[in-house]
Amino acid sequence: MENCTETELINKARSGDGRAFAALADLHYMTVYRYAFRWCSSKEDAEDITQEVFLKLAGKIHLFSNHSRFTTWLYRITANCAKDYARKNSRWKKNKGTDISENETIASLNPGPENNVIARNILKLIDKLPDKQKEAVLLVFAEGMSHKEAAKIIGCAETTISWRIFQAKRQLNKVLS
Amino acid sequence: MNITDKDLKKAFRKQEIPNPSDTAKNTAVQNAVKEFVQLNKENTKKTKGFPEFIRRMGKTFQNLINSKGEPIMTRKQFATIGVVVITFGLFLSIGPEFLFQKTQEPIKTITKKEDLSVAKNEQNKLKPTESDHKKMNDQLAPTPQPFESKTIADSTKEIIQPEPGKHLTVSKEGNKNKRGIATGEPLATAPLAEFQFDAEDAGVRAREAAARSTVVASAHSGAPQEVFEKSAFNSVGLGHGESPPTPYYKDKGRDQFSEITPNAIKLTRDEPVSTFSVDVDTASYAFMRRQLNNGLLPQKDAVRVEELINYFDYDYPLPQAETEPFKPTVALYPTPWNTNTKLLHIGIKGYDIVPEKKPRSNLVFLLDVSGSMNSPDKLPLLKNSFSMLVESLNPDDSVAIVVYAGASGTVLEPTQVKEKSKILASLDKLKAGGSTAGGEGIRLAYSLAEMNYDENAVNRVILATDGDFNVGITNTNELKSFIERKRSTGIFLSVIGFGQGNYNDALMQTLAQNGNGNAAYIDNLNEARKVLVDEAGSTLFTIAGDVKIQIEFNPAKIYDYRLIGYETRMLKREDFKNDKVDAGDVGSGHSITAIYEITPVESPEKRIDELRYQQKTEKPKADTSKEYAFLKIRYKLPGEEKSRLITTPITSQEAFNNLEEVPSDMRFASAVAAFGQLLRNDPHTGDLTYDDIIELAEPARGRDQFGYRTEFLNLVRLAKTAKAM
Repeated sequence: MENCTETELINKARSGDGRAFAALADLHYMTVYRYAFRWCSSKEDAEDITQEVFLKLAGKIHLFSNHSRFTTWLYRITANCAKDYARKNSRWKKNKGTDISENETIASLNPGPENNVIARNILKLIDKLPDKQKEAVLLVFAEGMSHKEAAKIIGCAETTISWRIFQAKRQLNKVLS
Repeated sequence: MNITDKDLKKAFRKQEIPNPSDTAKNTAVQNAVKEFVQLNKENTKKTKGFPEFIRRMGKTFQNLINSKGEPIMTRKQFATIGVVVITFGLFLSIGPEFLFQKTQEPIKTITKKEDLSVAKNEQNKLKPTESDHKKMNDQLAPTPQPFESKTIADSTKEIIQPEPGKHLTVSKEGNKNKRGIATGEPLATAPLAEFQFDAEDAGVRAREAAARSTVVASAHSGAPQEVFEKSAFNSVGLGHGESPPTPYYKDKGRDQFSEITPNAIKLTRDEPVSTFSVDVDTASYAFMRRQLNNGLLPQKDAVRVEELINYFDYDYPLPQAETEPFKPTVALYPTPWNTNTKLLHIGIKGYDIVPEKKPRSNLVFLLDVSGSMNSPDKLPLLKNSFSMLVESLNPDDSVAIVVYAGASGTVLEPTQVKEKSKILASLDKLKAGGSTAGGEGIRLAYSLAEMNYDENAVNRVILATDGDFNVGITNTNELKSFIERKRSTGIFLSVIGFGQGNYNDALMQTLAQNGNGNAAYIDNLNEARKVLVDEAGSTLFTIAGDVKIQIEFNPAKIYDYRLIGYETRMLKREDFKNDKVDAGDVGSGHSITAIYEITPVESPEKRIDELRYQQKTEKPKADTSKEYAFLKIRYKLPGEEKSRLITTPITSQEAFNNLEEVPSDMRFASAVAAFGQLLRNDPHTGDLTYDDIIELAEPARGRDQFGYRTEFLNLVRLAKTAKAM
């Protein structure tokens, strides 16, 4: 596998080569994890979500004919898993009785001397946005995609992305004022 | 307050993302791979049915529980959900969905939930009992059985059982069979045996990699050591102590690389000639990529700039004929990181044997299936290896299989590879054992080759054995002459050895030599791929061997030069003409790029001061004064002992005055060259930053059909924030 390009890896994995699949998972782990973290703001949750993404990938790898479809899919699935996870876990966390407030979670991750209060608040609020707006915001501002790229991942029109971002900003402004 | 885009970006930028724990990462990848292997093994998936989705959801949940050691949800919740899901799924499966189920009995119809447990038991019965397989299965969570459903009554279905060490692959036609009817075509399976065979090879593979890319295990402290020792691939599907199959450059956390001193700037008048071998791997690129993806900067010596540059495919113009199999493309353009120098860019493209013109292969596998072949590193490995070879063939190639010492005789008549599944099924059915009574193994093999003989094809018998040569001709000399006679009729012989304890190297080499073929030894699947897939291709389709490059710079035009990369490939000046000195081979369609940074004579700032006491350069010969340099390439055509020469002068015709005018491929290559040097902290790149490299490379991506160049840009971005080791 040493000299495999990613596309070769994908093709090998599609024909059942376990090592190629492992290589792909290794290659994309961080991307998925980081994006998952943006969704849930918790290391443990992000780890779980990432694991689930790759489990799903195991069953779906044969679908991909090329690299860009693959990354598009990864982003989409990660978002879905993150959303699912959030739904499940809010129930579970309540049962557990520990109130991990989002304040604490995010603050504990920005321990540096430059605690930017506004930034923290923004992140906290983004976390609470409706899923559709949150996804658009994360793809465009956290992952640095264009509206067009984000639209491709979500599967909607480019203008829809722009609209959702507009809504998100409006919501944020409303709360912060 | 009015939140702007900038605020949002800033907020995310400030968000510190903690690194995932190594265990989480390893577990995630492990479990995914297990899932992948399991799914491929089961071959239950022909249609993307809803029941399948449920089954995997169930498994997903189970794995979530297992891996964390604590429940994501309580057992009761899980059970409730499970029951709901199963009921729902049952409801749907009664519909016209078809799932193919490999069983030891004819497929039954299950419509009741209680039969689910029956199905489960059958699934359990199916598990192969060989110890290697069992290890794998023990580690997998028991899987709920996919629902067996009504099938179209078809008594001609062929049902294939999973066997240890089995490696079948779905052919494209197989995939299209959406209705999941067992048509006798085997389905995708992960090469399970592969995982364990790679087990012993930790040392071997590291040594192989070392041999290939002159790298030796070394020590360094800190995080990277952990990363590698807790490699995500440890114990995938294996028991303890066995080493993982890694896709990339493999190491155990003690990377050691030969120290590379970057090529010094050379004064043309002192050393006008530069010579090197075009032996180029791309391992360095993969290694660097892996490091950067883990947030680390690669070790300096792990970065071989020529390998980074040559990782990419460049669109140099192709040569026209195989008799002059190289076409050099040369350009001279401003150096992106230094206004006082220029880059002399040499691209060499090898003749591309057009796929239509690739000779057909007419192959006969002559396989030893005697009892001694029974160990995992013999017959199972052989089956996997040859399956790999079959996978890499073209539809109009043909394969026949003959076995000896055991159930001797023809296993498969010459069959075109477009019936790949048939060939793979035959391979799969092979079992070791039976008497060592000869049989007319070798005569049979050759007669099959003759039957299918095509003078425009490569006709070859491939003999695979662990050392037993009782192929029907007992006298060794007689065997040798037989093979020689057949060689003259155009049928060649290759010999592949497996296993140990019985291995007869001398005889193997002799036979292969007499048969105009090659002898090789396969100890693991990686080597199998190398020998039977990668090198089989290049043995058939090498366009030139021992390829060397020599450039003489004109001191009247070029004051000094520095070759970027190739530090480990340098040759002595006299090695160029010496045909006994080895160099690299070039396969069909490969391209090689080498870049020199040169200081033109007219440049105001020279990197090396002029001499005080000696005269300035003598006048060059008149008719060569316009040339910057002279390029020579030596190579040997396949089968020839004496090298041939291609030459071309490099003139101002090839010069560009602006970087913008330079073809995007070359600009991109220069960006990669810059990146490699920056990673190594080479002292020649001046103020160049990673951002500069991104700026240079981004518009030069071109079509980037497979996304490699975009990936490169991401790596540069990662390098910006990566931690040094």
